[in-house]
Amino acid sequence: MLSPWLEHLVFATVAVAAVISSLLVVTRRNPIYSALFLIVMLATVSVMFMLLDATFLGFMQLLVYAGAIMVLYLFVIMLINPREGNLPAEGSAMENAFAGGVALLLFSLLAFAISNSEEVKRLTTDGGIPALAEIPLSHGSIAAFGLELFHNHLLVFEVTSILILVGIIGAVHLAMRRKSSEKNLQQHEEGAVTADV
Amino acid sequence: MFSLPSILYLSALLFCIGTYGVLARRNILIVLMSLELMLNAVNIALVTFGRVHALGSPAGEHGGQIFTLMVLAVAAAEAAIGLSLLLVIWRRWQSIDLRTLCRLNG
Repeated sequence: MLSPWLEHLVFATVAVAAVISSLLVVTRRNPIYSALFLIVMLATVSVMFMLLDATFLGFMQLLVYAGAIMVLYLFVIMLINPREGNLPAEGSAMENAFAGGVALLLFSLLAFAISNSEEVKRLTTDGGIPALAEIPLSHGSIAAFGLELFHNHLLVFEVTSILILVGIIGAVHLAMRRKSSEKNLQQHEEGAVTADV
Repeated sequence: MFSLPSILYLSALLFCIGTYGVLARRNILIVLMSLELMLNAVNIALVTFGRVHALGSPAGEHGGQIFTLMVLAVAAAEAAIGLSLLLVIWRRWQSIDLRTLCRLNG
């Protein structure tokens, strides 16, 4: 267990790193850099989970996100190999300002809700997050987590497995190269273009 | 322990940065990554509230964490489907620009 001031320090560092890396994710022009900064951001979120006593979930976050999802992203980036020439032109400054304004508006709404919430106030005067002594020492461990998942939330777990199965089948079906139909489509499109001309 | 509002503000800020990415960028890859960013921001809030209400919650001691695990599974499925759609778009038009999808307009 970390001492309180060390916990504060780790949280502050991780929070600043998360904000900076997520800002870099949305502003980089080349998707490779965005993907690498997203990995940094996901790692900081994983550290935050561990600070919140969700140890197993923190490791799952690292394994599933940084280990599986981001590798998928990097594979796709390498497959389509975006170069300076075929990167899409970004929107004008006006459009970016509009998007920034919408995001800022959303943040001010959320901040207003958080600062005025009675529930948050009540929990904060109670000492914020209950101290670790109040919950069982096994909280967040793989044994306690798994026991609860398979006892009380079994149906949710099974439905999730169906979702993943549908995801796999969908991804394979979409990404499959169908030579004949693609050729037909291309010929059809070329025909349409020449007809237009 | 660090205070509850500070984590919630952080979660809100990350969510809004993700919103900006989804709205402003034209690159489908980066829009998908911004979506992952938003899902993670929500996950932070979920785990925090799950931790705060760990005792006496009807969802059980790990309710928030199990919810987060489900969000993780949905994010994985979303990434797989989204990226294969991106591949289809790339093969068809050699472009990862969101505006090429305007051609789907009948």
